[in-house]
Amino acid sequence: MLRAGVEQAVRVNDFAIKLANVNGTGSASANGLLMQAIFRMGIPVSGKNLFPSNIQGLPTWYEIRVSKDGYTARALDYDLMVAMNAQTYERDIREVRPGGYVLYDSTWPLDPRLHRQDVTFLGVPLAEMCNAHFRESRERILMKNIAYAGALIAVLEVDMDVVEQLLDEKFAKKKALRESNHKALRLGFDYARKHFDPLPFRLEKMDANSGKILIDGNTATALGCLYAGATVAAWYPITPSTSVMDAFTDLCRKYRKDPETGAMNCCIIQAEDELAAIGMVIGAAWNGARAFTSTSGPGISLMNELLGLAYYAEIPAVVMDIQRVGPSTGMPTRTQQGDLLECAYASHGDTKHICLYPANPSECFEFAVKSFDLAERFQTPVFLLSDLDIGMNDWVVPRLKWDDSYRPDRGRVLDAAQLERIQKFFRYWPEDENFVAARTLPGVSSKGAYFTRGSGHSRTGAYTEMPEEYQEVVDRLLRKHQAAAKWVPEPVIERRTGAQFGVVTLGGCDAAVREALDVLDSRGIPADFMRIRAFPFPESVEEFLNDHEFNFIVEQNRDAQMKSLLLLETGVAKDKLRSICVYGGFPLSAKRVTDRIASQLGELTERAVHR
Amino acid sequence: MLNRESNVFPGILGRTCDRPCEPACRRGRIDGKPVAICRLKRVAADHRGEIAARLPKIPAKKNGKRIACIGAGPASLTVANDLMPLGYQVTIFEKNDKPGGLMRTNIPSFRLPASVLDEECQTILDFGVDIRYNSPVTSMRALLQEGYDAIFVGSGAPRGKELDLPGRRETDRIHIGIDWLESIAFGHTDSIGEKVLIIGVGNTAMDCCRSSRRLGAKDIKVMARRPRPYFKASPWELEDAEEEGVEIVINHSPKRFVVENGKLTGMEFERLEWDAKAKNSKVLDTVFVPADDVILAIGQENAFPWFERDLGAQFDKWDAPVVDEKTYMSTREGIFFGGDAAWGPKNIIWAVEHGHQAAISIDNYCHRIPVTDRPAYGMNLISQKMGLSEWSYHNDYNPAPRQKMTHVDLAERFKKLNIEVELGFSPEQTAKEVQRCLNCDVQTVFTAEKCIECDACVDICPLLCLTITRDGSEEDLRGRLSAPALNLTQELYVSAPLPQTKRLMIKDEDLCVHCGLCAERCPTAAWDMQKFELITPYAGRTACCAQA
Amino acid sequence: MPSIAKPTAIHPSLHRNELGLTIRDYEGSMSTLCAGCGHDSITAAIIRACWEISLAPHMLAKMSGIGCSSKTPTYFVSGAHGFNSAHGRMAAIATGASAANRELTYIGVSGDGDSLSIGLGHLCHAIRRNLKMLYIIENNGVYGLTKGQFSASADVGSKSKKGEPNRMAPIDPVALALSLGATFVARSFSGDKDQLVPILKAALSHRGFALVDVISPCVTFNDHAGSTKSYLYTRNNMLKATETDFVPPASEILATIGRNGAVSVTMHDGSVVRFKGVPPDYDPTDRKKVLDYLSEHHGKGEVVTGLLYIDESVPDMHELNNTPAQALTKIPFEKLCPGSAALDTLQEEFR
Repeated sequence: MLRAGVEQAVRVNDFAIKLANVNGTGSASANGLLMQAIFRMGIPVSGKNLFPSNIQGLPTWYEIRVSKDGYTARALDYDLMVAMNAQTYERDIREVRPGGYVLYDSTWPLDPRLHRQDVTFLGVPLAEMCNAHFRESRERILMKNIAYAGALIAVLEVDMDVVEQLLDEKFAKKKALRESNHKALRLGFDYARKHFDPLPFRLEKMDANSGKILIDGNTATALGCLYAGATVAAWYPITPSTSVMDAFTDLCRKYRKDPETGAMNCCIIQAEDELAAIGMVIGAAWNGARAFTSTSGPGISLMNELLGLAYYAEIPAVVMDIQRVGPSTGMPTRTQQGDLLECAYASHGDTKHICLYPANPSECFEFAVKSFDLAERFQTPVFLLSDLDIGMNDWVVPRLKWDDSYRPDRGRVLDAAQLERIQKFFRYWPEDENFVAARTLPGVSSKGAYFTRGSGHSRTGAYTEMPEEYQEVVDRLLRKHQAAAKWVPEPVIERRTGAQFGVVTLGGCDAAVREALDVLDSRGIPADFMRIRAFPFPESVEEFLNDHEFNFIVEQNRDAQMKSLLLLETGVAKDKLRSICVYGGFPLSAKRVTDRIASQLGELTERAVHR
Repeated sequence: MLNRESNVFPGILGRTCDRPCEPACRRGRIDGKPVAICRLKRVAADHRGEIAARLPKIPAKKNGKRIACIGAGPASLTVANDLMPLGYQVTIFEKNDKPGGLMRTNIPSFRLPASVLDEECQTILDFGVDIRYNSPVTSMRALLQEGYDAIFVGSGAPRGKELDLPGRRETDRIHIGIDWLESIAFGHTDSIGEKVLIIGVGNTAMDCCRSSRRLGAKDIKVMARRPRPYFKASPWELEDAEEEGVEIVINHSPKRFVVENGKLTGMEFERLEWDAKAKNSKVLDTVFVPADDVILAIGQENAFPWFERDLGAQFDKWDAPVVDEKTYMSTREGIFFGGDAAWGPKNIIWAVEHGHQAAISIDNYCHRIPVTDRPAYGMNLISQKMGLSEWSYHNDYNPAPRQKMTHVDLAERFKKLNIEVELGFSPEQTAKEVQRCLNCDVQTVFTAEKCIECDACVDICPLLCLTITRDGSEEDLRGRLSAPALNLTQELYVSAPLPQTKRLMIKDEDLCVHCGLCAERCPTAAWDMQKFELITPYAGRTACCAQA
Repeated sequence: MPSIAKPTAIHPSLHRNELGLTIRDYEGSMSTLCAGCGHDSITAAIIRACWEISLAPHMLAKMSGIGCSSKTPTYFVSGAHGFNSAHGRMAAIATGASAANRELTYIGVSGDGDSLSIGLGHLCHAIRRNLKMLYIIENNGVYGLTKGQFSASADVGSKSKKGEPNRMAPIDPVALALSLGATFVARSFSGDKDQLVPILKAALSHRGFALVDVISPCVTFNDHAGSTKSYLYTRNNMLKATETDFVPPASEILATIGRNGAVSVTMHDGSVVRFKGVPPDYDPTDRKKVLDYLSEHHGKGEVVTGLLYIDESVPDMHELNNTPAQALTKIPFEKLCPGSAALDTLQEEFR
């Protein structure tokens, strides 16, 4: 055993590990097993899967952060690197913090050039052990992962009972696999127990997770759609949104099968492309179904044409945009908040859309339901802008709650009896206090029949090319959009005493920014916090910005899209907004935020001195 | 002026015409009610501007021909109207002291105000007609000796038919309808009993019952032998009478007048039951209907006691003159007949037409042109296409129902004998009624060689008038059209073979509303809407110059 | 006043269908297409077909994309909802609409640009899904609204109005559909309603996706000499491969088998399509034979028309998805939302 550095105090439930693998080898299940075991020990934990856009052979990483204080953002200081990918040894070993550890497969000797004096190398002959104990090559590859998990269980002091229980649950119906897993786990565990001393950081059971669940945002989004009563879903496979529809399909199999007839009370259509997917959503919503699609940036680009149709013809549509890195194909398995402007103004001509920005799976669930209510109330497309980090990583969140008194807000839809009472139906007139006119559904009454069109129309729904008739409709659409500001989620605002500036963020940056503000506060720099949760912006957003001399807008894109949106859509002065953009594709860490704020504050002070 | 051109008495006819034109109106085929042509003529007449300058000029220098007309009714007045502008000297002999003939004597003033009648008669008389009132012609021989170049007999059908049933001669409370009406017109009669029976259901009967109402009768019954569909009266006149509280009793055949102690107490009728076509009847029973007065309105006939039968003019076995149906000349050259005098009672508008035709004959006769040599009708066809969706005629279809004539309030109208019941159309009513016209004058004209058989006209036609199909017998074709052509009186329009398939374009004109959509949607202008103008010749004016 | 409103006057002898409606009750607003456009005749055929099968107007959904053809749903059945969507996207929107409410009858009207170029992919996939709808391609070989460019269905050698010949091979929607596994394929001509109307009625009874390609001459840009989509050319070269009668469900079938071994096909809804006349060796239920026949006669420059292929054995999108018989939009929310208790149970898995 090689040990470097000085003796350290043992840290309990406060460390980060990173697992470097080759994708397609089955490492995900081993990593997930660890993460889930820690969660079940009642310890605050977060896991980030940094995987490639590939099926087999490219590097993939998994990070687990354990924080007794509940910080869930990505930590950049790794206490332990599980280096299972020879291709990335060099980079992986470099990332370990001084005094940290590297666990590697010692079947082959480590290249001396990779050696670091300030880290401890823990070699486990994983391949050798697996070769000795498993016959099938595929099994050997898979079990190697379980074996390193066994070693980690030993060195981090994961509760073996919890792990065994998890394996029992997972392989309840696959006895042979259960046995193999158990065997592999013991191989690694026993080897580590035998050869390694306890590490200076370890786990200890807590009770922080009662009333919490471990869930990814895409599953939560799908659950929201299920509970909102969505019946039609159309999609085209695209990372990282695919698992929304996978989850929705699974949920429907479970909850939408009619007990009497065996029929499925839903229609999930894998479309030929995203143009078709949004078309199907629009067609279904036109007919009165709650319908949605899930996609990512490239899909939104393709959907632009029909989103304009839905906006102008005033047809509800719900779009789950699980953002990834653009432009173009970009980096499909990396996260970003790069679709903010695209979604807010999707399609040609004057268009503005309602956008919701969930920060975690809880909000994915809640906002998914809200999307349908807003889409139907305002008869317009609504975007839920999640991202890869929220959508595909497992998050520890409070148990989801459902209010059984909830009923869908179908907006203004005239039924046959209501139609009978009016003299004549006009599609876009008269309007209510939200500037919404009543619609009718096909199949109800000939009296409600009208011709839906994306071409110029007057308030009666008739074709027009007359300036005043055209403007009357699009002006109302603008007022309608503005009216939605009162119906969308308010921002989350947290104020600190003595705060001198505001820090504004959205979506998945939430955890990192909050952690950063704690760090800054501890350094004597208190700041107020606002997380924007929707566009159009409620009034409180502008108030917050104006309340502060300046505000940092923290977001994950190059072009400061949220800052741009704020400048375009509020009256706030440009010099009140400063950008902090982190957009490399990995989830945000607090360190990036504190560093950038500190440096910008330094520049500000310097400039003030020079003036 | 257009209004006056053919019918001469627009104000009068616009109120009193029998409307033979309206059953022909094709609007009736669409929604059951023809355009109210008659009442629209009244609108035009009542609201006309100053027409004096537009009236025909009467030449100061006469042509030396002298014409005598007997009776100042519509036929004679029309003859004068047509001949005076040509330089003729026309003399009218009238037995009464006012012009108008039956228009004055037989049409009550609540239907035709005297002022309207006077004015329209006077317009003609002012052409310089030599009118001799109180001058009944008592001898044709004598008249002939006065040397007129031609004589026109327009003396009407002044003899009311009798009903010689028991009791007829035992009382003076049985009246001949037309005579009774005349005596009212000239102020000789101003009262009647409470209970009045009218025998007959023609228009005279209607005038009699409504006049009775105004003279104080309370219980008025119009007694008809046959069921309602067989009545002679115009439906609107029946309605007007019933509106005024007159009872119309059907299936009652007069049997005898009941006179007790020299006083008429009523009449006995046989109640009849008719077969389906009202051809044969059987008597059910006999009933008594009380009455103070009975008015006989069962028809009238012409009579010529003053026309010597040895003048060369033949009379037939019913003692009616033999008159040529085209030339209106009797068998005695130079003597012409017209109006009711020619073939018995018809109506005013026919009398006018007779006048026009007789005038042509007289003009020929006086110029030694054979009277059978009649001027031809002329016509014009002018395309109405002005641009895309633009036509120079009103091609829109107005679904409005026939406008209802507003009447003077019931209580009000009985206050005086001469309160005109019909108020005429309001401007709004007029506009709507005019738009009900289906523009039969604007014809769908088809040019087969231009057709590409795109079906656009067939598809658009709202009344399924058009069909492109292979040839066949008429009976076969009628069944194969877009809609069955059931009106056999309406001929099918059949085109020449079409260029591409040699099929035929067939139009069933029956219900065409002349909307012009076939022409509107025709890409090659194979269909066109062309205005048809019929040019009617009048005496001294051939069709070609009638427009001038 | 000049007017282009269609008179409301009704022919008194007009028949009423089972719903008590006359054919005029199935009209839409006045066409704004060029006078003489083949599309207007197809509109008239649709009106007739809908009326004859007594389709309740409010139970029809009229779908279209963009283009001359796509304007036409305004011109029929004004008592039905219509959706004039985006260029080429009609099939996708109709798919979603049908998913939501399978109880409606869907008639999609498209053109050769809409279906064979910008929306070709959607058309292919609607065929694959066997989406239950009548999909009409009003095929004139030309882009009308943009003034006369060739479309993907223009034949090689067909001349533009300016006289330039088209050189690229056409996409034949009938052959395409057959190769994609379409279950109802027909071609007709706007100028032949005797043929078109029974085809449309049969299509409306079909179990799945019914493609009806209708040659529909563009009088303004493609009806000249040298065009292969003109009225004259089509009339001169049209070959009626099949003649069909449509017998609605529950009607007494007076079976007279047509000559040359003609067949009757019973539709999913119980109606019967009777082939009155088919050529020897032609079998409208044998995809390969139909394709061979098409290619043989296409080679001779003939425009093969008729109900060309039919297969009632393939389940439609809803059957494949096992959706309920009633519209999804009619399922009460209580049946769709599992409720809080189920959520609690489910979340036990998220630990």
